[in-house]
Formats: sequence, C-alpha cells, structure tokens
Amino acid sequence: MLSPPFSRSRGRFGVVGVLALALLASGCTVANSEYVTGGGAGGLRIVLPQEPPTLEACQSSLTATGVVIRSNITEPLVERDADSGELRPKLATAWEQTSDETWTFTLREGVTFTDGTPFDAAAAAFTIDRAVNSDLGCEVEGYVFGDTDLDVEVVNDTTLAVSTPEPDPILPLRLSFVEMVSTRTSATEKVRVPIGTGPYRVADWQAGQRLSLESNPSYWGDAPAYQNVNYVWRAEGSVRAAMVTNGEADIATSLAPEDGAGELAVAYRNNETTALRMQSDEPPLDDLRIRQAVNYVIDRNTLVRSLFENLATPAGELIPEGIVGYNPDERVWPYDPSRAKQLVDDARADGVPVDTEIRLIGRTAQFPRIEETIEVIQNELEKIGLNVKIQMMDTSTQLTYQIRPFPEDTGPYLLMIMHGNQAGDAAFTLDQYMLAEGYQSSWGTAEFDSLIDAAEALKGDDRQAAFEKLWPYEQEKVVQYAYIAHMSAILAKSASVSYQPDSATGDEMRLAEMSPVS
Amino acid sequence: MTGFLRRRAFTSLLPLIAVLLGVFFLARLTGDPANLYLPVSATPEQRQQFIERNGLDDPVWAQMWDYLGGVLRLDFGESLRTGESAATMALRAFPATLQLAFSTMLIAVVGAVVIGSWAAYRPNSLADRISGFLSMTAASVPDFWFAVIGVWVFAVGLGWLPTSGVTGGMASWVLPVATLVIRPLGVLTQVVRGAMVSALSAPYVRLARSKGAGDLRVVTHHSLRNAAAPALTVAGDLMVGLINGAVVVETIFGWPGIGKLMIDSILGRDFAVLQACVLLTAVSIFVLNILIDIGYALLDARVREKVPA
Repeated sequence: MLSPPFSRSRGRFGVVGVLALALLASGCTVANSEYVTGGGAGGLRIVLPQEPPTLEACQSSLTATGVVIRSNITEPLVERDADSGELRPKLATAWEQTSDETWTFTLREGVTFTDGTPFDAAAAAFTIDRAVNSDLGCEVEGYVFGDTDLDVEVVNDTTLAVSTPEPDPILPLRLSFVEMVSTRTSATEKVRVPIGTGPYRVADWQAGQRLSLESNPSYWGDAPAYQNVNYVWRAEGSVRAAMVTNGEADIATSLAPEDGAGELAVAYRNNETTALRMQSDEPPLDDLRIRQAVNYVIDRNTLVRSLFENLATPAGELIPEGIVGYNPDERVWPYDPSRAKQLVDDARADGVPVDTEIRLIGRTAQFPRIEETIEVIQNELEKIGLNVKIQMMDTSTQLTYQIRPFPEDTGPYLLMIMHGNQAGDAAFTLDQYMLAEGYQSSWGTAEFDSLIDAAEALKGDDRQAAFEKLWPYEQEKVVQYAYIAHMSAILAKSASVSYQPDSATGDEMRLAEMSPVS
Repeated sequence: MTGFLRRRAFTSLLPLIAVLLGVFFLARLTGDPANLYLPVSATPEQRQQFIERNGLDDPVWAQMWDYLGGVLRLDFGESLRTGESAATMALRAFPATLQLAFSTMLIAVVGAVVIGSWAAYRPNSLADRISGFLSMTAASVPDFWFAVIGVWVFAVGLGWLPTSGVTGGMASWVLPVATLVIRPLGVLTQVVRGAMVSALSAPYVRLARSKGAGDLRVVTHHSLRNAAAPALTVAGDLMVGLINGAVVVETIFGWPGIGKLMIDSILGRDFAVLQACVLLTAVSIFVLNILIDIGYALLDARVREKVPA
C-alpha cells in the first residue's frame, strides 16, 4: 500500500534523470567548442559592444560593420588620414580631376583579392556600380552619395574615370567610403562575408559567439603584426572593461569612465558632438529669443567638468577640430541664466506662450550619463520659466523624431543629438543638419541655404574659409541648435599591445596599426 | 493518458495562437524598422524601396496572413539585420539557453533536496533558520545584481573566473549558472523543506521508523517521494522562468542564447527573428508543461487516477 506501483528508479528518473538527460541531449556543442583564444603566439583579442550584423562591404557605414571590415578585410581606393584630414593612397596610387565632372584614378598594380581574382579598374567599377548605382539599398549609398548615381568608365586596367552629374569637389573623399570587393561577389544580393584585398580575411564566424580573422598571405602591403584576431562582443561596458583588466581580451571599445578600466583606459577624441536640436516650427520655440535663452542657460563648462569627467570640450559648432570647415575661433555661448530669464520674460510680455509644455527628448545610452545631462538641462530650463518635460526613448523611437519626415502635431520639443562627422568634410554635416529641408534639420532660412550651397561648391582654402563663416552665422541668425560638447571616447588596452587610437577608431579600427609591445 | 495528452495539447493550442498573434502586433507597435536599417540620410525613394522590399507597405492584416501562412510552411521569414533565416537563427541560439537552463535546474534541484531535507529533518534548529533566511534572501534578490557583483568579485577582484563567454571551458559556465541558480535554489529549498516537514511527520514515516528504518533511509526512501510532487510543480514553473527569463544573464555574460537574441531583435526591430524566438519559446514551454504533468502523474498516484486513460 505504501509502495507506488511504479519502480523507485523511475520515480527518481522523473525528477533528476530527465534533467540530466535533457542536459546531455541538448547537445554540449557550447561546452565542447574549443576556443582558439588567439592570445599568446601572434594573436589579438578584441571585445566590441555588439556583433556586426553583417560584414557586407557596402554596409561599412554601419559602425558595427565598418569597425571590423574597413581597411582590415576590405580597402577603398583612397583613405582619409584621421588626424590631418588629408587623403592618402590606398588601392589608388594617384587621382586628379580631369574635367569639371570627372575624376580619374590610377590604380595600384599587382593587387589580388583573397579569392585570387585580380584587383583592376574593372573590379573597382564593379564595386562602385554595385554599392552606389544598384538597387541593393546599400548603407554607403544613402550615407555618402544621396541619390546621385555615378558614371564609371574603365579606361584601361589601371585607370578608372568616375563622373558625377554635377561637379563634385570632394568625390575622392566620398569614394573613400566604398570598400572594394571581388567581381565574384553577387551583384544582386548583399553578402554576409566580403572578399577584399585587406591585410586580413575572415577565418571563422560563429554567429553569436565570435569572429576570427587571419592575416592575408598574399597581401600587397606589409604583413600585419598579428596573425590572428578574434572579436567577441559583450553588451555591458563594465564586463568589456573587466575582460581587459582580467586578461581575457586585449582591447575593449566604447567604454564609459565608470566602467572601471582603470589605468588601462585610453581616452581619445572621436569626432562626435552633442547638441540640442530645437524644433522651431511651433511656439514657443519658433521665437528666436526662446532659442537664445536655451543656449544661454546650458552650463557647458559644468557639464563637461562634472558629468563628462573633462573628457569633452564645450562646443560652439557641430563639427570638431580636424574636419574641413571647422572654425578654430569657435564661439561658445556663455552661461548667463539671468540673460536667459530676461529673454523668456520679454517673450512672455510679447504674448509668446512660454508656458507651453516642451518635451526634452533623449536617447537612452546614446552617450555615458545622458540621463543626468538631460536632467541638469531640464532643471536649468525650468528655472528660467520654461515648462519642460523629459522623455527618454530607445534608438528607433528617437530616430523618428530625429529624421524627416518628423511626426506631426507633437508639440514643441528639444532633441538631444550626437553627430559624428566621420567623412571629414563639413558638407556631410551641413546638408543633413543645417539646410532648411535637410534630413535631420528642423528648420533653416533661404539665405542660410544659399550660403551653404555656395560654400560646398568651392575647393581648397576658399571652401575652408566659406565654411568657417557659416558657424557664427548659424548662431546669430538661425539658432536651430544649442551645441553642447565635442566628445571623447574611451577604450581599454592591455599593456601588451601597442596602439594609438585616433578620431576614426570608433568606425575604423585598423588592426595593422596594432602590434605587440616588445 | 493519451486522452489526457490530447486534451492538454488542445487547450494549449489557443494560448499558443494568442502568443503568435500577440507578438506579431506588439512588435509592429514598436516602430518602423526603416528608421534603423536605412542611413539617416536615406532619400524618400530609398525608404520606399526598403518598405516595399520587406513587405511593410501591405496592410497589417495582409502581413499577418502572410506570416501565418509562412508559419504553417515552417517559413518564418528572414532577419532584417543579418539576412539569415529567422528560424535558423532562433534554433541556433536555443540550445545555449537550454543548456544554461537545464544545468541551472539540475544544480537547483539537487541543492534544494539536500538543503531542504537537512533543514526539515530538524525543524526550527539553527540550521533550519539559517537555511530559511538564506533561501528567502536568494529568492528575492534580482539576477543582474548577482551577475555584476559576481563579475567584480570573482573575475576582476580574485581573478578566479572569466568575466563572460561560453567558449572558455567549464570555468565560463560558473558565473552565469551561479547567478541563475540562486533564485530557483532559494524557492525550491523552501518548497522541499515544507513538503519534507509534513512528510516526515506522516503516519507511514512514523511506522517505518518504528520498524527500525534509519534516518537516511527514512528521508531518501520514504519522505522524499511524497515531497517530490509539489517540488516538481514549482521546479517546472521555475524552469519556464529560466527559459523565458535568462535575458539579463545572457546579455551580461554574452551567452548566445535565445534571450539575448530576443533582446537584440527587439532593439533591432527585427520582427521575423523576434517572432521565431517567441514561438520557439512558447512551444518549448508548452512541451515542458506537458512533461511536468506527466512527471506529476507518475509521481502521484492520486493525480494519475484522476486522469482517464
């Protein structure tokens, strides 16, 4: 009566045995996989915040993709020096403007792709057609070329002519974003793994776990110092930092000051600038005085000192030093709360509805301590008599407010943005953020538009001088933005690796510049 | 038993369909993927091309029929992020989650039986009170806190364990499993202790004792079986929670499981992958519940008798 009718062993099997069997049955692939750490003999280990969604070369303007492939697996015709902004030869050895609309490139000889096909003018033409003129919907097409199609002509094996419908003084710079791929690449579909000419090629990609590169034995240039490179990804900044301090990784990127990398942390300028964009088509933000008041009441020095730990500098324009068009005599709005309050009071006296609720929109995790930054700004705006409500959004939701077409009937809002001009020329910023109808611009003036257009058509010193004048003009006549700070980034680097990050590192981390400390 | 299974399968089908449709519509409320997948400078034409290419311009009902038709053909669509089949991505990630969940549960069950029995054997003793306090604490502290503290103490401070990963051998399992096991261990210990206290005072145990059965034999052979049924039910619920909720731990430790894939898909508005993940999880929870019912029936004759063959 006390014994159940089924056997005792089956009874236990029901609880523990099922679990144990299921554990075995689920396949110990994870537990058993051998991890070639790549450390020690000739290997380098890098931890990134996220897995690249794809390594398709024409998606290289995506940060997560570009940081792995650009100049590592694939290479462009010319590359931009991150410090000087000058263009340097890569797969092209020389280039010149041969007519108003045409640039002619002389290509490097003796270069082959890792699948054995030669790199020549036909391959370059194939790549440009595929990335810019096709229906693939490549990231680089929209990011760099807008809706402009290029006319590509193979003159001979080592000469390529590229023409634009309108004269384009910075075409070589734009082409520095097009990573060359083998002619065996599908022209009708995006591919996950590119075949390039770079110092590395993909050895093994275990989706979700790690990505391994090995050096390209037939590389045309100097062989890189590391034979193998392993990328892994961890979402938590503190874990990434700990991996370097713990000896599990050699380099960790995208860290915040509080992530704990300690003395292994390296801060570097990263071309990113934070700013509040003012949606100026609705009251009270359509009143110039209110927009000026917002500018006067942001205490940039205190933000930089206390929240950004001095890893940033107060900004008076949307691009930092090193970008063509940067104004070295940058004027930063002074912190003057009483002046700001006076401006708001004046506007109120004139019947401007200053009590209208204004949303202050931030993107979660856009930069370290964004929440605190937003709170400080809200507090200051409240003090001068504006009615400001904070709204934090995730990336996708925030982007609906950042890019056209903007949502309608949403009331006035201030939008925190962070802009990184990785192309090195102010035109990429001005077109999007400053033209009245720019994709990320809430308003502008016809006069400002014509000044921008005129500046962008110029070359050399004239171009620089014309761009420089645009920034003070924007501050005085347009005031769409309250610039906050030129930012810095932090990476953690093991003492055994020699590497000097530069302003392009966040988008293009060149493995060939890394070497073991001897 | 077959009739029981058939009925169980049928009653579970409705929630499954509800989950299927729910995630479809909820995912679409979260925003337009075009914003994430196109460069901010994309022209309206490029935007339109993207929307058409991915069928996002069809009415939502048409998209739903399309999706349901695909599900019937086991075609779950393609990932917007990677271009891979959504089903492949979900199935690839799932074993990692199962391994994590099953190893965690195995340790929790064994641990809870040992600690719970030990505590129940001498109710209200010091050992019982300590285990009670610790298991209550364990059951109520959030995962992420343990995860972060674990990394700081054992990986960074002491350097005994890797911070994260799955490919560093068994050592890389310690922190994720230890983080996950704490809550189920705490809850199960309490359940086992409660069930064992009443089992140990049951008349048949007293009878066994009077016949000269030793302490160990009384606990392992006479009381545990009767205590097992409630523990199994709770363990089943906890297991569902583990499969469903390893999200935080998987994200922190870079564990390539379904929880992490789900979070990535939500943030990436990768509807097809999200839907495949949710469906796979729902089906596995459904199967798990049936297994629990069967286990429960096998353990407890009274339940089995209520189940018409």
